[in-house]
Amino acid sequence: MAAKSDVWQGTLALMVLRTLETLGPMHGYGIARRIESTSGDLLSVNYGTLYPALLKLEQEGFIASEWGESENKRKAKFYRLTRAGRKQLAKEEREWQRTTTIMNRFLGTAEDPA
Amino acid sequence: MRKIRAFVFRVLGMFRRTQLDREFDEELQSNLEFDIQDGLRSGLSPAEARRQALLRLGGVQAAKEAHRERRSLPAVETLARDVVFAVRLMRSQPAFSAAVVMTLALGSGAATAIFTAVDQVLLRPLPYAQPSRLVHIGALREGTSTAFSYTANFASFRDGNRTLSEIAAWMQFGANVIHGESSERVLGGLATRSLFDLVGVQPVLGRLFTTEEDAPGGPPVVLLSYAFWRDRMGADPSVLRQNLVLDGQSHTILGVLPDGFRVPNRFGGSAAEIWIPFAIQGRRAARGEILAHVTGRLRDGVTLEQASLDLDRLKMKLRSGISYRVVVTRWQDEVAGPLRTPLLILSAAVAFLVLIACANVANLQLSRAASREREFAVRRAIGAGRGRIFQQLLTESLLLASLGGMLGGLLAYAGKNLLTGLLAIRVQAADVALDWRVMLFSSTLTLATGVVCGIAPALHLQFRENLSGALKAMARGMTEGITWRRFRSALVVGEVAAAMLLLTGAGLLVRSFIELRTVDMGYRAGNILTFKLELTKSKYKDTRSQAAYFGQVLEQVGRLPGVQLASLAQSPPFTQYTLTLHQAVIDGLPPKALPVRANVITPDYFRLLDIAVVRGRDASSSDSFPGAAPVAFVNETFARLVCPGGECLGRRVQSWSTGRDWLTIVGVVRDVRTVPGREAEPEVYGLYSQFGGTHATVLLSTVGDPLAVAGVVQRTIAAIDRTQPAYDPETLEQSMSGYLKQRRARMMLVVVFASAALLLGAIGIYGVLSYAVKRRTNEIGVRMALGAEQRNVLGMVLRSGCNLVIAGIAIGMALSFPLMRFLASELWGVRPNDPATLAVVAALLTGTGVLASLVPALRAARIDPIQSLRCE
Repeated sequence: MAAKSDVWQGTLALMVLRTLETLGPMHGYGIARRIESTSGDLLSVNYGTLYPALLKLEQEGFIASEWGESENKRKAKFYRLTRAGRKQLAKEEREWQRTTTIMNRFLGTAEDPA
Repeated sequence: MRKIRAFVFRVLGMFRRTQLDREFDEELQSNLEFDIQDGLRSGLSPAEARRQALLRLGGVQAAKEAHRERRSLPAVETLARDVVFAVRLMRSQPAFSAAVVMTLALGSGAATAIFTAVDQVLLRPLPYAQPSRLVHIGALREGTSTAFSYTANFASFRDGNRTLSEIAAWMQFGANVIHGESSERVLGGLATRSLFDLVGVQPVLGRLFTTEEDAPGGPPVVLLSYAFWRDRMGADPSVLRQNLVLDGQSHTILGVLPDGFRVPNRFGGSAAEIWIPFAIQGRRAARGEILAHVTGRLRDGVTLEQASLDLDRLKMKLRSGISYRVVVTRWQDEVAGPLRTPLLILSAAVAFLVLIACANVANLQLSRAASREREFAVRRAIGAGRGRIFQQLLTESLLLASLGGMLGGLLAYAGKNLLTGLLAIRVQAADVALDWRVMLFSSTLTLATGVVCGIAPALHLQFRENLSGALKAMARGMTEGITWRRFRSALVVGEVAAAMLLLTGAGLLVRSFIELRTVDMGYRAGNILTFKLELTKSKYKDTRSQAAYFGQVLEQVGRLPGVQLASLAQSPPFTQYTLTLHQAVIDGLPPKALPVRANVITPDYFRLLDIAVVRGRDASSSDSFPGAAPVAFVNETFARLVCPGGECLGRRVQSWSTGRDWLTIVGVVRDVRTVPGREAEPEVYGLYSQFGGTHATVLLSTVGDPLAVAGVVQRTIAAIDRTQPAYDPETLEQSMSGYLKQRRARMMLVVVFASAALLLGAIGIYGVLSYAVKRRTNEIGVRMALGAEQRNVLGMVLRSGCNLVIAGIAIGMALSFPLMRFLASELWGVRPNDPATLAVVAALLTGTGVLASLVPALRAARIDPIQSLRCE
């Protein structure tokens, strides 16, 4: 089995936003597990990298947090996407698409204009 | 925008540490619970679920660390922690901290004050266009350069020069000025129109006089200074149509000059309150060898030498035949001129002081760093990197340096008055102000010295420790060679010697000052008020009218309540107005060539000042009657030097007025010193009724405070003739203080330096001894364990301190013998090698040294031998 790689810092923020858009308000543990499973378990998320990302997103106003209750009446801190966060997500998705398109052109099968 | 928002949250996060920590803990805890839940749900046993969850949780500490770093500003937090620690450290060692702060303050304060003066006087260019091309034209006569040129040369310079694009002349004069109802004596300036153009000044009201108006026979006009317009005329914009009467002549007010207008010269610049065209002097200027300031602007490409030669060939010959040379110098240099050397000497002295201060700080810091070795070892053991320790040391040094700098700034501000007092005649007080350039200089200097001297010793020890880890125990006694120790001791001995020198100098100066202040002047000075009168010549043309006016003044003033006696004198004590004859001519004897002071008085003069009549009789009112026999009085020195056998009574001396009559000497009076510190010269007194004169000082002896009647006296005199105002009211006591002001300022400067040196010396002794004690803690512990008493240890430390002090005193005393002779010109009534002063100073230094040694000595005596031996 391929070793799980640690997730890159910059893209983690994008993943968190996407996760919150998909799942709706979620606590930190849930976000971590979701990211891991979405990646097909190829990524491992530890709290040492997740929480700085969450803090940054919250300080910049893209997500908001509040203490609430889970299904089992357990106290947990839930994070949710703000409107600004939605816009930021859309923007970053577009940019990411563009980056991958460009990179694919470079790394794709080279067409040799013979 | 987002970044700012994030930053704000991080700043806020600094203040909610405990709360955020707690919340994060709860969050991690809840995450753990969820993980366990998931594990249970997927079938694991509770213990297994928990184990796996814990594994996945991973490094909790790392997570918390990461959280802490992001949620606030860790750099700021560490800085804040360092500052708090530094403050606590400072407060726990008040003596040390005070010593460092005071040393830095002294060094920085002195440096700032001197730099201010140097900047203002030497460095700053004149505030005019292209100041480097502005020149001053003076005369070099008998080896000394004067600040003046002869006015008769001015026309030739102006018309015939090839090297100047502009040339201007100005001088000062005094006049009785009447405006409306009030009259007063005013200091005025005569200036060519070109002067205002040269310095680029535009009037704020009205206009300047033109070059055509500035010609002989031109219209009598006057320009007002801003202060005069504001204070005397209430800033009334309608002054332009009004007149001022100057010495009987009416001048039309043409304009008002801007605030702060002052033409610089080496005497502090013009203080003129009114300005009139230069050519008004008319014939007097053209004929005479009257002196004026002449300034100009060089043509492009012309050098000072070329201009000097150019103007020199245009000069006229002096009637007295004395040769001189015209010299053109930079105006900047002329203004700064006499101050350059004293300022540079002062700068050198201050630089020396700063060096000593730095050495002291380094010493003190070294001593403290040595005692913190354990603390640093522990810090490194728990993970502080070198950068972290450096940051902490830097913060501590910066804190001390900032405090020192602030205190130094206050000292410099206070010392500013001292400096301006010293340079008072030359530089206006407003100029020597503290400004941002100086602040920058001083803060940089303080921070640099504080930080460098603070960090270097500590780092030196730190890095040394790294290398000698294993040999630490042995190395402790020998971490520094004997050379370092000797060097530091030598430094302290030098400080004490310097303090000895300065204190001796200060002591001698103080004694001289006191002697001067209390010297017998030959007259009584208490409760005497003086006023000056300068009669307008055009109004009081002859002796009769002058004598009549003065007679009226004396009569009216003498009748005022509170006034005991009134008298006039042309050259009373402390006067600027002196007339010196080159020879004394006694009837029947060959003329005796010696300088004789000629004074003119009214009969009550000697009585008023309590000048005793030693032979013959006092002056009486009958001597003033018209037709009375012309008489004169002489002082003892005159009698001794001029008359054969010292017998002057009955002999006739030749008058110095135009008539060359013979005056009979009818009385010999006691000698009077005109100023303290000067021996009495031969003096001859004539009477106003005989000589007349337009200049007189009115002297009054009063019953109570002289100044209380000043106003009444002025009004009484004004009532007699409104156009002749009495000016410069001053008591004789004030004249004495004023005369001694410069000397006093010089003395205070030396006293301040001496005190600084004393303080630094004491701090130096303290620093060296406390370091030595710390270094020898083990040894002292051993001694005590072997039976030494506390007082033995105390004595040991005190003795080493005293050795330093005595060595310093000895060197200082030895140096003082040759060096104090330089002061001889300043001293009065006390010899340069006065043993009493030396003894007192030595005692003072010894006492201070003992006190400074006491703190480390007591600390040494209180060493617990068990503790010290344990701290191996």
